[in-house]
Amino acid sequence: MSALELETPVLHRPGTLAEVCALLAELDQPMVYGGGTAVQILLKQGVLFASDLVDIARVPGLDRIEETAEGLRVGAMVTLRRMETDPVVRRLAPLAAQVYARVANPRVRNTASVGGNLAHGDYRLDPPTALLALDARVELTSAGGTRLVPVREFFTGFQQTALAEGELVTAVQIPTQPSRAAAFAKLSSLSVNDWPCASAAALLVPTGRRRERWELRMGLGALAAKPEYLSLEVPGGAALDEVLEAAQRAADQVIDPIPDVRGGVEFKRRLGLVAVRDAVRAAWDLAVQPTAGSTRGSVPESAREEDSDVQRTSQRRWWRGR
Amino acid sequence: MFSGLHSGAGGAVGERWARTDARAKVRGELRYAADQPLRPCLDVVLHRATRPHALLESVDVEDALAVDGVVAVVTGAQLYERFGDALMTGPAFSDQPCLAVGKVRYVGEPVAAVIARGLVPARAAAERVLVDYAELDAVHDVDAAAAGGPYVHEELRPSTVFGDLKHLRGKRDTNVNYEYKLRRGDVAAAGHDAVERGGVTVREEFWCPPTHHVPIELPFTAAWRDGDRLEILSTTQTPSYVRLAVADLLGIPLNAVRVRSAPLGGSFGAKMYDRLEPLAAALAWSQKLPVRILASREEAFLLTTRHGAAVTGSMTADAEGRIVAASADVRYDTGAYADVGPRITAKSGMVAAGPYRVDNVEVRSRCIYTNKPSAGPFRGFGVPQVTWSHESLVDELARESGVDPAEFRRRNLLREGDVSAVGTPMHSADFVGCLDAVTEAVGWDTPLERVDGRLRRGRGVAVGIKAVLTPTISNAVLQLNQDSSATLLISTVDMGQGSDTIMAQIAAEALCLGEGQVRVVTADTDVTPYDTITAGSRSTYHTGNAVRRAAEAMRDKLLELAAERFGVPATDVKLTGDGLVSAQTQERVSVPELLHGHFGARGTTLTTEANFTTSWVPYDHETGQSERVTEHWFAGAVAAQLTVDTETGRVHVEHLAVAGDVGRAINPTLVEQQLTGAAIMGIGHALFDQLVFDEGQIVNGTLLDYQLPSVLDLPDKITPIIVESPHRTGPYGAKGVGETTIIPLAPAIANAVRDAIGIRFPRLPLTPERILTALADQEASK
Repeated sequence: MSALELETPVLHRPGTLAEVCALLAELDQPMVYGGGTAVQILLKQGVLFASDLVDIARVPGLDRIEETAEGLRVGAMVTLRRMETDPVVRRLAPLAAQVYARVANPRVRNTASVGGNLAHGDYRLDPPTALLALDARVELTSAGGTRLVPVREFFTGFQQTALAEGELVTAVQIPTQPSRAAAFAKLSSLSVNDWPCASAAALLVPTGRRRERWELRMGLGALAAKPEYLSLEVPGGAALDEVLEAAQRAADQVIDPIPDVRGGVEFKRRLGLVAVRDAVRAAWDLAVQPTAGSTRGSVPESAREEDSDVQRTSQRRWWRGR
Repeated sequence: MFSGLHSGAGGAVGERWARTDARAKVRGELRYAADQPLRPCLDVVLHRATRPHALLESVDVEDALAVDGVVAVVTGAQLYERFGDALMTGPAFSDQPCLAVGKVRYVGEPVAAVIARGLVPARAAAERVLVDYAELDAVHDVDAAAAGGPYVHEELRPSTVFGDLKHLRGKRDTNVNYEYKLRRGDVAAAGHDAVERGGVTVREEFWCPPTHHVPIELPFTAAWRDGDRLEILSTTQTPSYVRLAVADLLGIPLNAVRVRSAPLGGSFGAKMYDRLEPLAAALAWSQKLPVRILASREEAFLLTTRHGAAVTGSMTADAEGRIVAASADVRYDTGAYADVGPRITAKSGMVAAGPYRVDNVEVRSRCIYTNKPSAGPFRGFGVPQVTWSHESLVDELARESGVDPAEFRRRNLLREGDVSAVGTPMHSADFVGCLDAVTEAVGWDTPLERVDGRLRRGRGVAVGIKAVLTPTISNAVLQLNQDSSATLLISTVDMGQGSDTIMAQIAAEALCLGEGQVRVVTADTDVTPYDTITAGSRSTYHTGNAVRRAAEAMRDKLLELAAERFGVPATDVKLTGDGLVSAQTQERVSVPELLHGHFGARGTTLTTEANFTTSWVPYDHETGQSERVTEHWFAGAVAAQLTVDTETGRVHVEHLAVAGDVGRAINPTLVEQQLTGAAIMGIGHALFDQLVFDEGQIVNGTLLDYQLPSVLDLPDKITPIIVESPHRTGPYGAKGVGETTIIPLAPAIANAVRDAIGIRFPRLPLTPERILTALADQEASK
């Protein structure tokens, strides 16, 4: 066998988007390299096969967050940490900020990119749950041009996305969050820091001529082979228990867990329904609260901490005994 | 008596000296083994078995050899031809070849070693080794393996290291490679009697799954020939053992093997006895090539594991709440190779009835081969597995007896001078003090808000006992330099426990030296003297005693030199922080002046050395009894307050109080860190940490799937408590502490969960899935 076949992937660091697209078009088995947090692990484990890595960190403009007429346009190389902390994101899409804040740990969030996270396509990712509820669109670019794919159509199967050969994610467009009534719940079964076993983002959007109903939009993570989206209508005057019941019933149709070391199908289903209830309950509490100001207001701090035991732990002091 | 307790004048022992390596570690300047500058070495990558149990019909290395950069591809058959039966190594049984010979016994067993210029060709070539297997029936379940075939080994091959295993040589048709029996009193009669008179018996089947150590630093070994000598640099806790094992393997004298260790980035038992060293040695020696082996994270999971263990336990209390009988049938799954499993089996069998006054005890503890990666030493040495049983049983017994679980234990715990179930008296093991300290810390007797929304709150406690490894040998060589700095030569390996700091403090105490004045030399068998192992929490006591003796001998030498100089008797001279002084004449001399005067030169060294060896009375083969089975005991207790989320099944620990009787804390900060570190590791074992196997294949052998406690899994509050009942022969009264709190940790958590939701979990870990399922069953049975 030749020495060539033994080599590790070749790293390219193009300076323009056009060069990136050209490389993706001509190389044998290229892999776009964003933050590298997933790619590095997969390479190390020998489960990712790529002839070339195309690092897009030097492409100007990909790390920009822009306010647009409809909301936000987030470049592919924006880090997860910026999604968590950026004031514009927190103002226009607080659910997204809240969910990005819960991915992995600060080290990963400081490095991982918005585009790479989506392209990874894993069914357990957190950000898609929010992006599904917010009806975001993914910008895909290739040598042939740019197309927009609704995030609700982006995930096509187990670790599969709508990305075609030669394409990369260049941005995500997130419409302004239409209501402040939103929440996220994430449950793990092993270490708190582990991949989630179940996650749910819930967003309640007022509908109807006199805004007498709610559209409950939910994004589910880790509960089926891909991130799942569902929505249902809820009468404005409904009792919380009715809303929870309806949400659970709808979610139960979509939940189709993959059993693994983190739990079996039945357990994950139950946990999924808990995540749905927790997220919907927190969102509903916000929805029925008397509103002060516009629906563009951000989710209050208290609501963010509603969702599960995970959040509380961040405030712990672990060495108080000293 | 109590000679160890007279204090040196030094003011070093009991001080919170900073770790000697703290600065270098924080700054990333510490060189671990794989960071050390070495001569250029070739990389070794292994081709590993894909079958749990199979004969090797053929191993075809032709394609692998054709890969550019490959220098050699070596098989077990080749090594066996060269080294014969010496290729079979292991601390208790000589049963493990570094490359499979004729047969593989677990998925992942090394079959062939590729030696290449660089990892890339080595990896590529390893994938091109072609193996033809003739599959054999495999045995994965420990009880099936105990009951009969298939047999993992044709016959038992006890090593020469432990004389008491001799009788097992050549035994065939069994997977049980060792059995320890403890008999005291009459369990059946006493149990029957007690129950007749209103007592209670509880019994349960317990299970602890295999786990992995996951030291952050990966195992690494480099070896090369230097003429007729072999040099090894390795991540090992046992340099003296490795030197002997390699000398035996190669058939060369001890002084022809040099083993250097390096500061370890964690180990917990993962880097001791035969790991990568026999392979590296055999390759370097036979191929005359410098080689290095760096285990990947995934390979590290295959190198050694913590024993999975099944325990059938029972305990009986009389109507007055005294424990009158206890029994345990313990089955350790030692995997394909015995490693130190037989020792674990005995060491834990001795304490399977717990730290209680029980007159009638029956224990059967067996070490059993299965077709899995070999299990070996792990912080706690098998004792956490039996503690899981006795501390769960005692808790149920207390509840059945209608007595508070802490109070019930208090009534039954062994006290100073009591004779333990194994026949050895107790000393310096204050179980009651530990129990009282942790229960008080968590407010055991204060009211508890039991229901908090969907959360259920509970408290639990557990106590642990372990015997220190006995007999063992330690040596220390101390050089006092003319400038009054000191260099200490010992083979203890600092693997994060802080031994370099502790040993410096012990040496400094007798010599009135200050922080930073004693440098501890990293283990190097060409330089540092024999030490049995750095493991089993033994170093502070054993090596510490050797160090103390060497330091005291040095002090005596200084006193003599000063007496000579002053013209007074040595008894008149006193060593202080400022030097030596004559009480009679008030004449003074500093250490630098004294040594300069004595040798007539600057830069000189004064040397002393000392040995510390412990002895035991081997336990009786039928009854397990010994009047002196161990040099000393470890005593610890844990109390936990926690919540169980009844919707998610998740346990959240609010307060964890952990205590250990350490005799005397040489460095309280390091003791607290050990108490805390072991407890955090134990939280993982209690709640989610486990190796999952499917037909002998590890399912979660990566850090993506194998879970350790993260910072977010820590309790809201951890209270480490030092209990000190000085040991009569400990250095300044000290004993070790590394394992103390991991031993009772899991049952303390499970007992608190029992308290919170009324459900007893006999199987570890207490995953949310197990808890939710049990809650659903509880609901259904209402």
